[in-house]
Amino acid sequence: MFKNNETAEIGRNKMLKKHIKNTVAIIAAATSFASIASAEINGPVNYIIPFGPGGESDISARLQQPFFKDKFGEDMVVSYQPGGGGAVGWASLNGLNGDGQTIMGVNLPHIIIKPAQKNVGFKTDDLNTFYMFHYTPDAIVVTADSPYQTLADLVADAKANPGQVTMSGSGKASANHLAQIKFDKLAGTLTTYVPFKGTGAAVTALLGKQTVAEWGYTTVGAKQGDAVRMLAVAMENRHPLFPDVPTFKELGYDMTGGAYRGIALPNSASAETTKMWSDMIAEINTDPAFQKKMLDGGFAMLDVDSAGMKDFMAARVEEYLKDAREAGLIK
Amino acid sequence: MEFSHFLSAMTPFNIALALFGVVAGTVIGSIPGLTATMALAVLVPITFSMDPASALILLGAIYTGAIYGGAYAAILLNTPGTPSAIATTFDGYPMAKRGDGDLAVALACFSSVFGGMVGAIALLLLAPPLSKVALAFGPVEYFWLSIFGLSLIASLSNGNLMKGLAGGAFGMILSTVGVAEISADIRLTFGSQVMIGGFGVVGALIGLYCIPVLIDLVATPERHLKVEENVKSVRISEAFKIAMRSKFNLIRSSVVGTLVGILPGAGGSVAGLVAYSEAKRTGKDHQKFGEGEPDGIIATESANSATVGGGFIPTLVLGIPGTPPDAIVLGALLVQGVRTGPAMFSQSGSIVYTFIYGLIIATILMLPAGLLIGRYAYKSIVTIPKAVLVPTVGFMTIIGTFAIRNSVSDVIIMLCLGVFGWLIARFGFAASPIVLGLILGPIAEQGFVQGWTIGAATNNLIGMFFGRPISQAIIAFTLMTLILPIYLAYKKQPHKEV
Amino acid sequence: MGTSSSKSQGQFGSLFISTLFIFIGLITLYDTTSYSDRDSQVFPQTVAIILIITAGTSLVTRLLKPSNEGGFGEGIWWRRVLFISAMFITCFAMPIIGFLASGVIAFTSGLIAAMHDKWSFRTVLIYGCSGAIIMVSFFILFKFILFVPLP
Repeated sequence: MFKNNETAEIGRNKMLKKHIKNTVAIIAAATSFASIASAEINGPVNYIIPFGPGGESDISARLQQPFFKDKFGEDMVVSYQPGGGGAVGWASLNGLNGDGQTIMGVNLPHIIIKPAQKNVGFKTDDLNTFYMFHYTPDAIVVTADSPYQTLADLVADAKANPGQVTMSGSGKASANHLAQIKFDKLAGTLTTYVPFKGTGAAVTALLGKQTVAEWGYTTVGAKQGDAVRMLAVAMENRHPLFPDVPTFKELGYDMTGGAYRGIALPNSASAETTKMWSDMIAEINTDPAFQKKMLDGGFAMLDVDSAGMKDFMAARVEEYLKDAREAGLIK
Repeated sequence: MEFSHFLSAMTPFNIALALFGVVAGTVIGSIPGLTATMALAVLVPITFSMDPASALILLGAIYTGAIYGGAYAAILLNTPGTPSAIATTFDGYPMAKRGDGDLAVALACFSSVFGGMVGAIALLLLAPPLSKVALAFGPVEYFWLSIFGLSLIASLSNGNLMKGLAGGAFGMILSTVGVAEISADIRLTFGSQVMIGGFGVVGALIGLYCIPVLIDLVATPERHLKVEENVKSVRISEAFKIAMRSKFNLIRSSVVGTLVGILPGAGGSVAGLVAYSEAKRTGKDHQKFGEGEPDGIIATESANSATVGGGFIPTLVLGIPGTPPDAIVLGALLVQGVRTGPAMFSQSGSIVYTFIYGLIIATILMLPAGLLIGRYAYKSIVTIPKAVLVPTVGFMTIIGTFAIRNSVSDVIIMLCLGVFGWLIARFGFAASPIVLGLILGPIAEQGFVQGWTIGAATNNLIGMFFGRPISQAIIAFTLMTLILPIYLAYKKQPHKEV
Repeated sequence: MGTSSSKSQGQFGSLFISTLFIFIGLITLYDTTSYSDRDSQVFPQTVAIILIITAGTSLVTRLLKPSNEGGFGEGIWWRRVLFISAMFITCFAMPIIGFLASGVIAFTSGLIAAMHDKWSFRTVLIYGCSGAIIMVSFFILFKFILFVPLP
């Protein structure tokens, strides 16, 4: 059972119900009654982003926020819980209430690679991920006035001067880093990866010419517009926003992927709650207005719901762990 | 930059938003543990139903108020309400202890308004060229900037140089606890999960500054702050006179604050520190700084308020947030479909300019609002019986620390740090160097490692670290700041311990 | 005080803390040996060495020139202990009895610890009520306006 909002009439009734529900909820909370588990949303939901504000996870959540309120009549409150590159949030997820009022953003490859490296307080399988709703495809970004006009230029430079082509990226053992390692292998080059704290800092470094290129995402190209040029994107087909930017595949490098983002519930949540949330996010994800906003931001859509999650994650786990092992990031 | 935008900023609705934002922000900023970031995060959805300019004005006003509000707790409770007010404790609390608390609060208000105006005007007139400053600052510059910030420790630790430096080093070690940003290692957690998130700045701040004060307050029957029996409201004009006498300090600190605000990742705390360091170095009476010198408050409060306007420069021009609250504003803008970046000033010019004018209005409104709230805050802190003040503040520290990351372990860590901070303060180790180390450590580390990586890759290490003009300027300032206190310590060698 | 400089509280405490910091520096150095990436070792090692040097210098100079500076000073101990232990107990109790209930523990202990004057029925009433009001208003502010999930 999930709420579905189709006409303003139903919306208004639901608003009234919501107000009554809120009052009851407050009184109930004040006397600390445990709520009976049911697959329904009661009051505002808490959407925790395990990073600081401003990143892709935050932006995509902010884009979902108004659609959620619109369709299901409840507030979606975005809060931040940074620390450990996401580890603090994910380690605390299963300690939270599983009644369906609290959800948390999850990121690939983080939730796969981090537990494999060290004891970070959670295991990949612990997280009840119920939907993957987008990914940001890897892309090599250079400034608009860079001497590299095409990917071939960069490759040539890297081959002629091994180690001297510096590329900024967000974090280590992250999507950017894995992409750089993978590409170096495919192209037979040796570039130097310079890790920064977050995509924003990596972009600043690029724009300030601290490095000659950046391993970023299509979202960077969308945000910076004419100030940058993307040399290639790691997608099957060209991104609708950038019809002139070739894919790695076209240029002969078998690379697709990026950072995937989804949402998880505490694993104490019931199967009904999980299905309910999966359907709600699916509904937002299939809304053409939402899709347009995401694509305009440079995101790429993806739809993996709770039913298909197990296979999706298994495939990703295998893929990422293999890449990471080859890169020497994990044993 | 048409005047019409100024008029659209002056609508009653926008003015009401600005006033509400400034007041709400001031209250939020004054509660340790509650940051502007938190407040903005919660209020963003409200802006979805507003037009973009009004939304921006509200968010900007809250941000402005919060940066100012942090000064209250800093002055009256020796606890920065927000990290940007750390340097305000240096002279604010001593002033409060000797009965000049209301003067300090009024000074903070004037300075904040002035600094905020400078930042906002820079945003209005010079945003595109100034944004280039943000880009010119590379990893190496950040590294030297943090070293400069740490040199403040030397100049702060009047006589206790070695202990101050040890505290700073300790703070930097604390900053490495947890998952490393520049690599994938996990450091100093000794296998425990609790420390994976590391020591948060806000929690450490509350622990190291506030808890020791509380521990001592319960122990003695004296009143918390001395209260002057007579003069009350006359202090506002007194504060104004003092501010006017320090015009150069005001202007210089505001400019410094604006420039530091432009640098993504630096923020109000660094701005306050740099401005304070400069004010102390060039001030007539170096020794008075740290014992209740009004110029200290003027420097820090104008600088940290200037970062509001300054921070919006890279945010709006480059789409790169200057500080975490800016990141939230960016998100709110994105949802509204407003594209940031170089085109923003031309494409969405009306939104941008209306917002900037709104920010200026909010800053101006902060003068009456701030003075009023400040007076009220001072009166209440001073008249509340200590028996109620202490548990209230104690309770606030618990709830405030919890709210940072919704974690009880954070509160426990905060208390442990607090007791530790109280202990070592008894024997000459101050809290500020530790907090400074904690804040500047990551900036120093990341700058160093990134600079090293790039320098090594391009076979240009020396040139990288010492050959860039901005770096050279910062190194020069650092040396100047360091030489002074070492010289003073040398002169005083026979009398004070090191 | 009567104690000689080299045996005073201030002396002992200062030496103890300097030694403690040296110890912390050594632990940090030891921990860096377990890092896999050279990049993550550089900074902690440098800073730990700085810590050891500065704390060591402070230790040595204090040994060579003992003084009375520092010490616990005046102050009633049981109040301090009560206050701090109450805060800790509040933290541990929070997940079990909820935020408001544990907050009451903290607040009351704080009241008792900070109250140097004599209690009267009136003060108990006023302070108790204001305490309750303060706690409840903060609770509402954080939990319902700022959506912080207090237990």
